[in-house]
Amino acid sequence: MESFWGSVKLMLFVYALAAAVSLTVAWSIKMIFAGVKMQKARAAARAAALAEPSREPDNGAADRAD
Amino acid sequence: MPEIEFLSIFQGIATLVASEPLILVSRIALIALGIVFVYLGVKGTLEPLIMIPMGFGMSSVNAGVLYLSASTTGTLFIDPTASDPIQLLEILQIDFLQPIYTFMFSNGLIACLIFMGIGVISDIGFMLIAPFRCMVIAVCAELGTLLTFPIAVAMGLPYNEAAAIAMVGSADAPMVLYTSLLLARDLFVPITIVAYLYLSLAYAGYPYLVRVMVPKELRGIKMDQTTIPNITKGEKVTFAVITSTLLCLLFPVAAPLFMSFFLGIIIRESGVKQFVEFLGGPVLYGATFFLGLLLGVLFEASTILNPKVIVLLFLGITALLLSGIGGIIGGYIVYWASSRPFNPVVGIAGVSCLPTTAKVAQKEVHNANKFAVILPWAMGASISGVISSAIIAGIYVTLLR
Repeated sequence: MESFWGSVKLMLFVYALAAAVSLTVAWSIKMIFAGVKMQKARAAARAAALAEPSREPDNGAADRAD
Repeated sequence: MPEIEFLSIFQGIATLVASEPLILVSRIALIALGIVFVYLGVKGTLEPLIMIPMGFGMSSVNAGVLYLSASTTGTLFIDPTASDPIQLLEILQIDFLQPIYTFMFSNGLIACLIFMGIGVISDIGFMLIAPFRCMVIAVCAELGTLLTFPIAVAMGLPYNEAAAIAMVGSADAPMVLYTSLLLARDLFVPITIVAYLYLSLAYAGYPYLVRVMVPKELRGIKMDQTTIPNITKGEKVTFAVITSTLLCLLFPVAAPLFMSFFLGIIIRESGVKQFVEFLGGPVLYGATFFLGLLLGVLFEASTILNPKVIVLLFLGITALLLSGIGGIIGGYIVYWASSRPFNPVVGIAGVSCLPTTAKVAQKEVHNANKFAVILPWAMGASISGVISSAIIAGIYVTLLR
């Protein structure tokens, strides 16, 4: 018969390793979400920045009309 | 007219009469058990998708034993012992299920096909609602997979066989098949049959476990559905690709399982309707049908005469019971640790019998409070359970193969 205490040690090792890898997977999801959120925010900011100059000539035209 | 011996015409009866008493009793018992499985499957007490083909295969193979030569008996169904290439080539042309066994079963392809189908029917978005909470529950729900290992060793099984039967605690029968093929080839038939048998029973038994461990007021806790984020297809695909690559990198021995599962998820999210229907329909149910049929056909009298079968029956139920308890403990941990209301019944769904345990959880919650909905979180815990089970399978196979 193989060692019972050996199997207990192996079980603890497997559990610890499985928990660490599983939580790493969960953490990677969080990171992906954070990355996507950041990218969306950056894209929104860029879109707003691009929209700003296009509004200025309009304002100028409006001023001239006045 | 030549002299006719009636028993030489009815060879099934002739081989039965000529066999040793123990084999005779075992064959009759297995024929009867097969018929009972078919009956319970048709009735809906046991999972019909597996039990009907398996039970029918069992009764047919144990009845259909004939004389292959003057001194040897066998069947025209399958010969799992054939390994010599010339002998195998000959048997492939005689035994009608041998091609499926050789090219789909013994290399684990059938488990991978089922995993692709499971991937296609799994919405990974549920897991992405609360990844940490789902994963904590899933890890706790592996309690049976882990604790059964030393128990099996204490009962005299070697490490590889102990790990193979402990995988029943993952409640994922294709995974049990895959692991036992790699770790304990001699025992993969009884181990997989034990897994499917108990998984069918788990659907009936887990509700009682939930009622014993979770009081009614906690079972009725409503969870806030407004906190569920909108997850895009792109995010799901990104997650599937990264996670699959990471897990394949860590555990190459389980890479076929990881690839199959996440491929199913990517196909689902890609929206290619033809592939989704193909993998979620003909592939999943075709593979399940042949898995059940082959398991039944492999369950001959000699299988139950193996003294280890009694030990496997005990260890299988122990593993599933401990995993259920572990899952609910996980549900309680998240309930106590979470700042938002969390129903601890979600814990039972961490036992990754997708989607059965998630449905059990929702049904129990609905019985306690008809306005409470926990299915999205329960599905998330179940999908996390599939991933954590595959991780444990990868570790066991890497260490003990």
